[in-house]
Order: sequence, then C-alpha cells, then structure tokens
Amino acid sequence: MRPFWFTVLSLLCLLLCLAPRVFAQHEGHNMAGMRMDSTSGATLHLMAQAIPLVTRAQPSAEGITRTEGALTQAMLMARATYGAHFSFDGTLNLEGLTMKKGELNTGALGEGYVDRRHPHTYLHEAVASALGATGPLRYSLSVGRGFAAFGTDDPMMRPLVKYPINHHLAQILERGVATVAMRAGAFMGEVTSFNGDEPTGPSSLPTASRLGDSWSARGTWLPFAGAEVQGSVARVKSPEELSGAGLDQRKVDVSARAVSGDNRRYVLLEWARTRDRDRARAQDVFSYQSALAEGSVELGGAKLALRLEQTERPEEDRTADPFHTPLPATDLSINGITRWRVVTMHVTAPPVTASVFSGFPFVEVAHLGASATQPLAVFTPARLYGTSQFWMFTAGLRLRLGAAHDRMGRYAVAVP
Amino acid sequence: MRQRSVLFIAVGLIACAGSEPTGSGPPVTSSNPVTMTVLGRGDFKPLTATNGRYTGEISVRGTTGYTTTWSNSSAAQGEFFIWDVSGNVPALVDSVHIDQARTLGDIAVSDDGSLLIVATEQGNGSIVIYSLANPRKPVLVSRFSSNSTILGVHTAEIGRVNGKLYGFLSIDPGSGVTSQLVIVDLSNPANPTQVFQQFIGTPYVHDTFVRDGILFLGLWNDGVAIWDIGGGTLGGTPSAPKEIGRLKTINGEVHNIWWLKDPVTGNKKYAFIGEEGPGSIGTSAVGDIHVVDVSNMAAPKEVGFYTVSGAGTHNFSVDEANGILYAAYYNGGVRALDVRGDLGGCVDVQKGLLANSLVQLCDLRKMGRELGIGLVGQGNQAYIWGVQYQGGSVYASDMINGIWKLTAVSRP
Repeated sequence: MRPFWFTVLSLLCLLLCLAPRVFAQHEGHNMAGMRMDSTSGATLHLMAQAIPLVTRAQPSAEGITRTEGALTQAMLMARATYGAHFSFDGTLNLEGLTMKKGELNTGALGEGYVDRRHPHTYLHEAVASALGATGPLRYSLSVGRGFAAFGTDDPMMRPLVKYPINHHLAQILERGVATVAMRAGAFMGEVTSFNGDEPTGPSSLPTASRLGDSWSARGTWLPFAGAEVQGSVARVKSPEELSGAGLDQRKVDVSARAVSGDNRRYVLLEWARTRDRDRARAQDVFSYQSALAEGSVELGGAKLALRLEQTERPEEDRTADPFHTPLPATDLSINGITRWRVVTMHVTAPPVTASVFSGFPFVEVAHLGASATQPLAVFTPARLYGTSQFWMFTAGLRLRLGAAHDRMGRYAVAVP
Repeated sequence: MRQRSVLFIAVGLIACAGSEPTGSGPPVTSSNPVTMTVLGRGDFKPLTATNGRYTGEISVRGTTGYTTTWSNSSAAQGEFFIWDVSGNVPALVDSVHIDQARTLGDIAVSDDGSLLIVATEQGNGSIVIYSLANPRKPVLVSRFSSNSTILGVHTAEIGRVNGKLYGFLSIDPGSGVTSQLVIVDLSNPANPTQVFQQFIGTPYVHDTFVRDGILFLGLWNDGVAIWDIGGGTLGGTPSAPKEIGRLKTINGEVHNIWWLKDPVTGNKKYAFIGEEGPGSIGTSAVGDIHVVDVSNMAAPKEVGFYTVSGAGTHNFSVDEANGILYAAYYNGGVRALDVRGDLGGCVDVQKGLLANSLVQLCDLRKMGRELGIGLVGQGNQAYIWGVQYQGGSVYASDMINGIWKLTAVSRP
C-alpha cells in the first residue's frame, strides 16, 4: 500500500472512532447558533469528506478529450468551542495526496494549474478565535492559517462539486491571517491582515516575511433570517511571486446569499473583480471580472443545482505539461484574457446512509464557451483547444462522515 | 449561441462582467523621427485565430537569419527557422525541430560564426548547440542541461572571455526556487561544461551582456549588476566572478542590457537598460529604455531615458559604427535612437520624468535623438520581440507576423 493511502485510511479510521462521541455531544452543525447559546463547556464537531469522481472533459488542453478519475475534496474538518470566548476552526485537506496532478476542470486556473483545479494545502485552516461582547456589540479576534475576510464561501461548502472558475477572484485562502470582526445587530464588519503570497504546493506554509503585507475588509448585512449581503475589498501584494516582486492585486467582491429556513433552497449571486497592478509604475494593468449565479433546491430526497458563471482569466504561457503554467511566471506579461461562460447543472440523488456515513451520488454536466476579450491577443481558445466550446461530464459520490458544516470562510462572530 | 446569451442576460449579471485591459494606453506617438522603410516580410505560416506559430528571437549573420518559436501548442512542436535574408523579402529555407520544449526563447550565433546556440524552456531547460559549418544546414553538436538549467533557459548569450567562448544562461525561477545565472564553458562545444552557478535576481535574472571581460546582468527589481569576469581589475573569472557595481534603475523590471563601445569616439560611458513591464502579448506592453552612465562601474548612475506612451521595449541591437541603437518595442514597432555623444548632459527643457518618479532625467526624445520608427501604423499589427542591425539593414522578429527587413536609418 502506498504511504499516502495508508495515511488517508488511518485518518478516516481515527475519525470513525471519534465520531459517535462527538455527535453525542451535538448533532447539529450550525456553528453560529451553537456559539450564541454556549456559555460554558466545550463542543466539538468533526466532519470528514471525500469525493471520488470521474470527469470527462471534451475537449481539454491541446484539443484532447480526456476522462480521468480523482479523489477530490478529501478533508477532515473540526469546529470547536470552549465556553463563550474561544473557538477553533481546523481543516486538513488531503488533496495533495489524493490528486497530486489536480482535478480535471476546464477553465480552472490558479497556483500553477490551468484547466485543472489545484490541490489545496494540507493545512487548509487552523484558526483560533477569542470572542467577547460589550452591550450589543460582539467582537472577535481570529488568528492562524485560513481565509481572509473577503468574498464568498469556499466552493467546497456549496452544492456543486466542480469549482467555479472564479475561485481565485472570489476567495482569499490558506494565508496567515489575523482578523478582527465586529457584529452589532444585523451588521458585521471584518478586517484581515495576511500574507499576500499564495501557496506554491500542498505543503506550503505562509511566508513569514510576507505576513501582514496585505489586507482585506468585508462588510455584511443580514436583512432577514437566512439572507446576507456582503461587500469586500482587498489589497493583495504579489500573490504569485514569493519575493514580493510580482504584480499586486486590488480585489472587489459583492454578493447576496439566501437560504430557506428548512435549508432546502439556496441561492447566491456574486460579482467580483480583480485588477493586477504594477507597483513600480503605480498602474493597473489587467482586469478580470466575474459574475456568478447559483442555486439549489431539494425535491424529495434529491437536490438539483444550477450555476451560471461568466469569468475572465489570464492566459499564461504553459509548460511542457499543458495543464501547468510556470510558477512563478517568467515575467509579468500574459498572453491574453479569455472570457469563460459556463452553465453547470447538478443532480444529487437521495443519500445512502449507514451509521454516521453518508453517500450522495451525483452527476454534473457543464457547458463552457470561451472567447478572447482582446482581438489582437495571441492566445485564442481555438489555437490551444481547437474549439471554443466545451463539455464536462462528471459523476461521483460525495462521501461524508458526520454532519455537513454549512460555511467555510468566516470565523467567530462573523459567521452569520 | 443566441439562446445562451439571452439566458445570461436574463440573470442580469453578464452586462457588468466585461472588462478590457487597462494598460493599453493612448496611441503610440513620437516627435520627428523618420519612418523606417519596410523592404519585406518573411512569414513561415501566417498566424490565424486557429493556427500558426509565434516568433521569438532573431539572429542574423551574413545572408542567413535564424528565428525561434515561442509558446508552441505542445512541447513536441519546438522548432526554429532558417531564412535567406539576402533579398528584400526574407525567404524561409529550412526548419529544425527541437523536442521537449514548448518555447525556444533565445538564439545566438557565436562571434566567429561557427556555432548556433538555442535556449529551450517550458520543458527540458537546456541549450542546444549546432555547428554552422554550413549556415543553412545547422548540425547538432550537443544539448547541454544540468540540474541548474532544468527549470528553463530564458536567455542564452554567448561571448568570448580571454579567447575562450562561454554561454551565459539566465534560468527561470521555479516553485520555491530563485532564478539562476549559469555560465557554461563552450570551448569544446561537444562537451559543454558548467563553470558557475548562482541563485540571483528579484525575482529574475532575465538577460546578460558580455563584452571585454565585463558581464552585465539584468536582475529585474534588483536592477543591473556589473561583474568582472576577466576584464576588470578585481581578478574575476567566468568561474569566479567579482561584482564591480550595481544600480537599481527607476521602476526596476530590468530585462536586457547593451553596453555601447563606440568605435568612432571610443566612448564606453553608457549602458542601455531595457525595462520590461507587464504586457498582454500582441496587444499591449510597458517599459522604458534607461540610460546608465557606467564610466565609474563601481557607482553606475542613471542619467537618461526614452519612453513610448502605450508601448514597452524589449531587445536591442546597436549599429555601433554609426551610433544608432535599435530597440524592439513590442506593439511600438522598432525604434531607432541616436546614442552617440553626451546623453547625460541636457538642458532643463530636455529633461523629463519616468512614470511614478520625481527624478528629472534627460529625455532622449526631447534631445532630438529619436531618429526612426518602423512597423507602426501599417496594415499588420506588429509585436516586435527582437531586432538585429546588419549591413545597412534592420531585421525584426515579429511575434505575430514572422520577420521583417527594414532599411536602417542614417545619422542626421
């Protein structure tokens, strides 16, 4: 047995042993509610997930239709509180072991991968929070490795399995963060200081010398139960160049999200923009925008979901492996910008449950169209792929141990 | 297609999700330069929306030219092309395949015309060495790669130090690996030997220039460094260079260098530094030419500049006998500058500011030193990677359109 499979199975067995006691403590998974009610004692929620799937990308890079299997979104999540004043959010992500070459996902881009989604870092989240209150004002300080206060929830906690293309426009994750959050009534505000550099591989840790060189801020309004509207801004220093000499990013994200009281209907509308900025000349040089709408509804025991997305991405020189771009790039230039339009439909069948295990069979079908935004750009989809129209077919099984966690990307009092 | 568009419009999001690059700037303009005469264009395969190749660097010797191809559609598609440039229209005569490299970025002919060196990247980083016993039929001699070069050889300059031929390789950075300078002894081209390696540059070492035992390095945001490798007084050698001086030029992003040695005036005072800012290949580019006074190499000083609004510079070639620098200027075509004489002594009205800088420097355009512009405003949108002056002509490699032959400009 290869070492990483041994590790995966060992961790799953460990979690299985812990799970009955854990769920005896608390069957629910709404962390916000738990934090509001708890005044003493400790709570711990654990969840494990893995999704074996098969994807057919028709075509993929270099015009070749590929069919590949992957074990994606393999992770262990822990959410813990101690009294009313301390909490911890931890996620171990095992994609670095289970999908080293990435997950076939046409249009995806980030961290040196293109048309494949990159594996996340093993230490995806480890954030400790201290919480307090003064009158109607509640506040918290969260420190560790995790999400900056920016944008929307991580796609792993959303209904569709395939990541949207806008992942790197709409979330800032796996950074060394220090977040101050305040909440009064229906309003929340957060500010995060973090390191701008993105991970360069599953084992990456935040670069110590870069801690605090970037910041983000997010304001959230909760107009009624289950609904939220957020707006975020961020200034990220040289995310793709560890030395700090790369282009900076100025990011904006706004979204509206609503979930029905019975948790059976969900909708998210999002717009995001990232501008690359040449710090030396103090000039914005490239701009990428995204608009996304997704929703889901449960009918009987099945879940139907739909996502519409239009996202622009930079096209960069590719390595000998057409699914990789040089990391870091060999200079600051790009080969053009493509606009991707994606319709993704998802169906999850009623789950199969045994003890604390659940299995959710699903299929997803995505149609993508890509076009160059600049008429003179050297990169055109047709040159690389032989077409500008694509299909992706995915079938798999979302395996879960324990109750699902609703949210990912917020901490302490900033969890709606 | 229409149905899909309507669907997206219906959700009310698409209309606000478009954008254009913000760096394209106003149209390229200049003062009173002549328009360089285009003699002809050689194109191996027109670039279309669905096919074709991008041209990289150019090297010309005698009546033969060599051009590389960049960002090929697969690593099995690396090729360079051989041209007959004796006529006005360069004629393709052959091509040579190089495996395991998506990009062949740099190409150079040795000073004696005996060797051709091709750099490979986005694949197996290496230099490939050919014999030019027959310039139109290069014969493979060896391919050199090492643990140091495997990340990709971005540029490979060749130069002679105390009679021995060396290659100066700028190596791409990798994940968690800084860029490197590698020096290779080419005196036995069948068995190249690595004699020096150093991690250097923030974040890149992008190019080098060697002359008279002095090595200039383009270190991006670390500026330009000057090393003694045998021609200075510090006792440096190619295997043990000694740094003489260093300068962080305004706005950094130092890409390439040309140290001018004027055979008429004997002036060796100036080095020209190419700054390569962020561009969108085929569409936009950013970056100026910086003039650096290196008369005291231990304390080089920036004294002048040349800028083109909405375009950025790339590689240089200098007609030293006539004191004219030709700069590939990407979407700004080819620029010819008078670089003879005093470039750092100008009156106040001839001074100007570089972007995001408050330091007044001599502006070569205001000094009337902009002599010629080529390949701008013609039918084909050009995007010029490299230039080479030779024998009264200027050859330009155009990433989109192949190669051009232009008439060189004359001194006023």
